[in-house]
Amino acid sequence: MNLEKVIFGFFIVLALTLNFGFFIGEMDNPQYHNVFELFILVVVNLIATGLKLGDRTQIGAILLSTSLVADLELIAAAIYWTVVVHITETGLTPDVTASIVSLSGGALVANIVSVVMVVAETLMLRR
Amino acid sequence: MPADSRKGGNPVVFIILREMRTPILVLICVYAVAILGMAIIPGRDGQPMSVFHAFYFVMYTATTTGFGEIPEEFSDAQRMWAVFCLFVTVVTWLYSIGAIIRLLQNRFFQLAREEWHFARAVRRLGADYYILCGFGDTGSLLARGLSDAGIPAAVLDKDEDRIRALRLRDYNVPMPGLCCDASVPRFLIDAGVRSPRCRGVIALTHDEEVNLKIAAVSRLLNPNIKIIAMSTSQFHEETLATLGRDTHFVDPFKVFAKGLGAAIVNPHLYILDEWLARARGASLEKRFRLPPPGRWIICGYGRMGREVYRALHNLGVETAVIDPRPPADEVDIYIQGRATAKTLKAAGIRKAVGVVAANDDDGRNLSILINARGLNPGVFMIVRQNRHQNEVAFEAADADIIMQPSLVTARNILFRLTAPLLRPFFSFLVRKHRYDARFMAQLLDRLRRTLGDATPQLLTLHLKKGKTDALIRAWEAGAEIRLGDILRDPRQREDRLAIVPFALRSADDAIMFLPEDDVLLRPGDELLLCGSESALDLLDATLNNEYLLFYVVTGRDLPRGWFMQWLYARLWGRAILGWPRHRAVA
Repeated sequence: MNLEKVIFGFFIVLALTLNFGFFIGEMDNPQYHNVFELFILVVVNLIATGLKLGDRTQIGAILLSTSLVADLELIAAAIYWTVVVHITETGLTPDVTASIVSLSGGALVANIVSVVMVVAETLMLRR
Repeated sequence: MPADSRKGGNPVVFIILREMRTPILVLICVYAVAILGMAIIPGRDGQPMSVFHAFYFVMYTATTTGFGEIPEEFSDAQRMWAVFCLFVTVVTWLYSIGAIIRLLQNRFFQLAREEWHFARAVRRLGADYYILCGFGDTGSLLARGLSDAGIPAAVLDKDEDRIRALRLRDYNVPMPGLCCDASVPRFLIDAGVRSPRCRGVIALTHDEEVNLKIAAVSRLLNPNIKIIAMSTSQFHEETLATLGRDTHFVDPFKVFAKGLGAAIVNPHLYILDEWLARARGASLEKRFRLPPPGRWIICGYGRMGREVYRALHNLGVETAVIDPRPPADEVDIYIQGRATAKTLKAAGIRKAVGVVAANDDDGRNLSILINARGLNPGVFMIVRQNRHQNEVAFEAADADIIMQPSLVTARNILFRLTAPLLRPFFSFLVRKHRYDARFMAQLLDRLRRTLGDATPQLLTLHLKKGKTDALIRAWEAGAEIRLGDILRDPRQREDRLAIVPFALRSADDAIMFLPEDDVLLRPGDELLLCGSESALDLLDATLNNEYLLFYVVTGRDLPRGWFMQWLYARLWGRAILGWPRHRAVA
């Protein structure tokens, strides 16, 4: 057992599951998509990115880039949410909600790629 | 024109332009006359066409498109001129196209084009390459071996059919070929003999004079290049030796006889050699019933027969020779005539322990084999196979050892190129065997245990930057790494990779054979390893991935991220991130 693998795996899987939780539900209905879930999701994703910094292998580089993609899309979704609720004050209309959720769907794919790669790399080692 | 190709220009374009000069000039003049006439001759309304309309009309008429009388209906004078234009321009076109086709069909033009394509293909080769002169049996076997090792080659052969055959082969790396006389300096330059990426020239043509000339020309064109030439005569070898360092000659008959001598004295060595060369049907499980000491019979006393006789004679074996012509040298027993049942009996086939069929004719060798087997079923048969294409017949013939000079030569050269430490290793085995008869059996046993049924692969590994980066960085960080460490399985370090290290040459040129696990590795070391393909891949991964290397050496996982490194250092101290120094030998 390896402490780094435990922490690393924990955050990566947590990011994926939170992302899935936020994404699931009717696309354009804000009732299904919780703002706190999005907030925690962004934080967990950033932590996962931080843990990936410093790896000098090729897989490490790809992991970092997928993580950055997820960050970018989730932060874009969060900013969009803030703008419509507080600045333009149009509120979470169905089309706005659909855009936010679809951004989180993109991040979900990046997180899935991350997890698949971590699992594959671990499976290559028999220990 | 060849001077142009040296400068990197395209001689083909140059030739086309030069040959097309006259047709293009004729075409321009004919068009000019036709357009001018059309622009002068008056139309129905008394006015001639404008120059633009005349140009337009001639353009479509000359190519026989024929849109009709545009822009207005023509006068009769214009029609007369149009008829004239049509005939003259069409004839001119036919002449021009004919000139191009004639040029394309010109043998010399095709040669120039092939040469240019070849030189370009050589320049575009991705990796360092060899120049292979002669693509016969030996050449094609060697090309196959080079391809398996991932080394490209530029192939030159006089025979157009051989070059065509080369183009049909499926090699892993590009092998551009050119049909030409390889001893002409120009073609050697096309093949890139002067390029720093050219590793060496290998001359394997059937003509020894040509091989010698190729070697001499290559040496003059590139003083530092490695040259290997096939040669069977003393005179040529002496001349080749004067060409300076890194010139080697391979005598297929000597190589063959040496291998034969080794096989008779030390069959394990023969098994190992066959197995390493991945010969068909070769296996470490193969057991030889070693021929007991006794009389040998050599059928055919040509260049090969003589070398075999010498090898056997030096081993103190009583030998009978059967040949139609009396040999020039002194031999133990000589029987005149072809090798038939009668002469074989005269040579004592019933008491003999071994027969060598060494003729340069495959049919004769096969018939000797059948005759000898009939007269003495237990006799040890060594047979020479001359043509690669007769392989199936020889395999069915059930000889104890089949030796193909072309195969032996190709293998010898290939190992020189891809595994230069193998020759010293084999001489070590021969020396060692003399004192310790069980040594070879133990080595084969070790190989069997380590590799199992896997196909063996030889790898020459240089421990230097660009090849083993993780190892270099570990050394820079002050690590001490032993051979046994890197041969651990990076997936589970308690297991060992299926690799047997054969030799280790350190930077100061000292060679250690069958190095032990506790040998300390140093920068610049060169290792000859024998292992399965997957094991060698894993070794490559270990040596280029510092996390894997850290794991196999220390048994600990190095944290990858900066944060985790900081956390580890806080929890357990900085030492956990560093390479251990001066460890006791595990």
